[in-house]
Amino acid sequence: MSRFLIKRPLPHGGRLVERVVRDPERAKKMIKGCPTYDIKPTLHYESEVPVRNVYREIMSICYGFFSPVEGSMSQAEVERILKERRLLNEWIFPYPLVFDISKEDFKKLGVGSGDRLVLNLKGKPFAILDIEEVWEISDTEELADKTFGTPEDNPEVVREKFNKKHPGWVIYKSLNPIVLAGKYTIINEPIFRPPFDRFWYPPRKAREEFDKRGWRTVINHQTRNVPHVGHEFLMKNAAFTGDLEPCHGILVNAIIGVKRRGDYPDEAIVEGHEAVNTGGYIKNSRHLPTICLWDMRYGNPLESLLHGIIRQNMGCTHHMFGRDHAAVGEYYDKWSTQILWNEGIPSFGFPAPPTDVPYGLEIRPQNMREFSFCPTCKEMAYSETCGHEREKLSGSFLRGMVAQGVQPPSIIMRPEVFKVVVKWWKHFNYPFCNEKYVINKEKELEVDLKDL
Amino acid sequence: MADYFIDVLLDEGRLKAIQEAGLGDHIKYRFAGELKLVEVHVSEDTKNKVLKEFDTARTDSRNAITDVPVAFLRELYHQVVAKKSLGDDAVLAVLEKSDEIKDLAAKESEFLPAPEID
Repeated sequence: MSRFLIKRPLPHGGRLVERVVRDPERAKKMIKGCPTYDIKPTLHYESEVPVRNVYREIMSICYGFFSPVEGSMSQAEVERILKERRLLNEWIFPYPLVFDISKEDFKKLGVGSGDRLVLNLKGKPFAILDIEEVWEISDTEELADKTFGTPEDNPEVVREKFNKKHPGWVIYKSLNPIVLAGKYTIINEPIFRPPFDRFWYPPRKAREEFDKRGWRTVINHQTRNVPHVGHEFLMKNAAFTGDLEPCHGILVNAIIGVKRRGDYPDEAIVEGHEAVNTGGYIKNSRHLPTICLWDMRYGNPLESLLHGIIRQNMGCTHHMFGRDHAAVGEYYDKWSTQILWNEGIPSFGFPAPPTDVPYGLEIRPQNMREFSFCPTCKEMAYSETCGHEREKLSGSFLRGMVAQGVQPPSIIMRPEVFKVVVKWWKHFNYPFCNEKYVINKEKELEVDLKDL
Repeated sequence: MADYFIDVLLDEGRLKAIQEAGLGDHIKYRFAGELKLVEVHVSEDTKNKVLKEFDTARTDSRNAITDVPVAFLRELYHQVVAKKSLGDDAVLAVLEKSDEIKDLAAKESEFLPAPEID
C-alpha cells in the first residue's frame, strides 16, 4: 500500500474515555447512600440568564469527545492549562473544565475529598462525581482573562481586552467559587429528544459508522450555524484534500448548547445540515451530520484546539478551518486559528503547531479561505482562485434577510434549508435564539432521563 | 466616501417607490439578479451612533452594518424614500425615532411572523 495513505488517528491521549454505566442495578449500588445535588445552569453574573450547563461537559467527557479528560479539573491542572494549555498528563487541552458550586451549596452538602456525589438532572440521578479535591476560584474575572488571553500577554493573536460582550468570557466570570474536582461517571444514560437523537454519534459509534461506510479519510466541518451555499462549497472543496484520493467522508459536527442571541436554534442547525444531503447537494453516502454537546466559549484558536481534539476522537483525519473560526467580535485576529495550525502561538504554549508538539494532535488541518458568489463566473468561487470581483456572503446579511421574511436567493441558501429555518421559526415564533429560547432550552435541555 | 453602509432590500413595491424617488440608478442587483437592494451610505460617526443605540448592531466583513432590528430597517426604507436620499441624513432621521424603534424591537425579539412558503 502506498506510504501516502493516511491512517485513522488514535484518540487524543491514546484511548477513548468511556465512563458510562449501562447496568441500572450496578448504577443503583454505586449511588446508594450518597449525597445528591441537583445540577443547575450557570447564570450570567449580571442578568442571571443561563449561560452554560455543566451537564453538557459531563456528557462530552464521559462519552469520550474530550478524551483524555475524565472529569472536573484540579487546581493544579487548571493552572497548567492556563499556563501551557496542557493537562497534568502532558496532553494538550485548551480550556479549564470544572464542576462549580456556590459556597452555600457546598456548606449544605458537607462533602469533601473522598466522597461520591450523585448529580441529578431534571430531578433524576444522572451521574456521579468522585471528589478528589475541593478548591476555590479566588477571582473568576482573572480566570476568564487568563482563559482567553490578553493583548499584553498574547500579542500574536489577541487584539482586544475581553469583556462582558464576549459570551465565553462571561461563562468563566459567572462561575461559582467552589470547585469539586474529580472523575465523572454517567450512571443513567440520557435519552436524546428529537431531533437531536438521530444526530448523536459519540466517538466509539462515530468510528464504527466510518468503518461501516468505508470512510478511511474523513474531513470535519465545524458548525454552529444553518448552512448557506458558501458553507456547502467549503465542505465540498475541502473534501478534495485526503491522500491518494479525496476524503471519503464529510462529517458535520454541530456544537449544541447555549447560544448567542441571533444564532439559529440548534434544531434548525442540525436539520438544516441534514437538508443539504436529503436535498442531494452532497450525497448521503459521503456526508454525515452529527452533534456534540458544549456551551461554546467562542475562543477562536483555543476553540479550534478543542475542535481538533473532539474530531480526532471521533475518528476524523482532517479538519477544515476558515476565517474567524468559532469567534465573536474582534477579540482575536480573524486568522488566528490558521496562525495556530500553521506556525503555532508561543504565548499560548505552542512554539509550533499543535500537530508538531509533544502530546499534540494527529488530525490534519485544512486552512481554507472563502467562497462567495462571482457574477462573472456565475457560480460560487474560491477567493484564492477566482480573479473577479465577487459578492461577499456574510452570515449577518443573510440573517437580516431572513428576519425580514425574505427568502434568500437559492444561490446562497438552498430552498430545502430555508424550509427548515421556517419550520423551526413557526415552532418558536422567532427565527433565531432569543432570551425566551435560551431560558426554555435550559429547562428542557436536549435529553430526558428515565427513573433509575 | 462613506465608510459603512446598510443594505435595504427591495421587493417589487419598494423597487417602484425607489425609482419614483429618483434613486433608480442606485439599485444594485446581487446574486445573479435574484436580489435587489440599495445601499445607504453611513459615515464613521453615524455608524458609531447606530452601534451605541442598538446593542445587537454590528459591522460585518463587508463594512455593512447588520443585525439592527427589523423595525430600524423598515423605518430606514421609509426615510430613504421620504428624503430621496441614500446618505447619512436618512440614517440620522431613523435615529431620531430610536425610542419608538426600540419599543417595536422589544416586541420583535419575542415574535416575528414567519413567511408562508411552498
